[in-house]
Amino acid sequence: MLIQNPLNSSELAFPVLECLHIIGFAISVGTIAIVDFRLLGVGMLHQKVTDLNNDLWMWTLAGLIIVVFSGLLLYSSDPDMYYLNVAFLFKMTCLLAAIIFHYTIHRKVVSSDASNAYGKWVACLSLALWASVIFGGIFIGFVNAGL
Amino acid sequence: MILSLCQWAQNTAFFTAIRGSWNVYPVIMTTHLLGIALFGGMILMTDMRLLGWAMRNRSISDVVDQLRVPKRVGLLIVATCGILMLGSKAEEYYYNIFFRIKLVLLLCVFLHGMIFRSSVYANAAALDREAKIPGRAKLAAILSLVLWAGIACAGRAIGYVEPPLERIHAGISETRSLP
Repeated sequence: MLIQNPLNSSELAFPVLECLHIIGFAISVGTIAIVDFRLLGVGMLHQKVTDLNNDLWMWTLAGLIIVVFSGLLLYSSDPDMYYLNVAFLFKMTCLLAAIIFHYTIHRKVVSSDASNAYGKWVACLSLALWASVIFGGIFIGFVNAGL
Repeated sequence: MILSLCQWAQNTAFFTAIRGSWNVYPVIMTTHLLGIALFGGMILMTDMRLLGWAMRNRSISDVVDQLRVPKRVGLLIVATCGILMLGSKAEEYYYNIFFRIKLVLLLCVFLHGMIFRSSVYANAAALDREAKIPGRAKLAAILSLVLWAGIACAGRAIGYVEPPLERIHAGISETRSLP
């Protein structure tokens, strides 16, 4: 039996979800970037990394929840297309890596307050992973799905 | 006049090359979005601090003053990529209603800056001395959040308008890499 996804019966649903998706990633990636740039010694230097992380982790999580749930709904509008889209698969791989990295290695670094070369590498990798997620997301619309 | 300027811009060799390349345009778009993430996150935290909803253990001046330069760098990235995308399809953007809305909202952001800079954003140290966060600071923060969210949404909506093809004169160069 074929069930009609209610999202596809409204022309507005997809673009509205996309706007939420954009705002969600601005909140999550933006707050992560503030902490990462601090690790790299750029911006918010009056604060310790741990203090900054204590201020921002909840905003990051809130942004991630918005972005993931709006993303799931966007995905549900045309799952086959996304599943066959190489940019989407790239994005999901990077997203999984970014989230695991963020809540393991990255979290350890930002709660230990040691500003050393290791912290800078972690910040760079974190920024690179999140940038790759956005990169993959944009290319979904530009890659031929091969359908 | 504006229309002929748009037509001239998109027909320069530089913008024709951007339009004709299948990968340069999305890379510019990605950088635009990366800039939005960096810049948007900082705007959000600045405004949330002014509202007293976030980073309450930090003084307003700490947040506002320390994020000023990174925010400007972010804006520069976003604006540069925006102009590159605009130039490559200037005529199409000219006709796009959401692009026009976005421009009006950007004008409002500029006016917002003019109005609130001296009393709020460049005056953060004085805000710290007040017992409560003044109403003008909260108003500035709410307006800023609404305007920037509107700009993001209008920007996304640009892609949903079908261009009036019969009125578009943007040719694709013959060196286009994909059919």
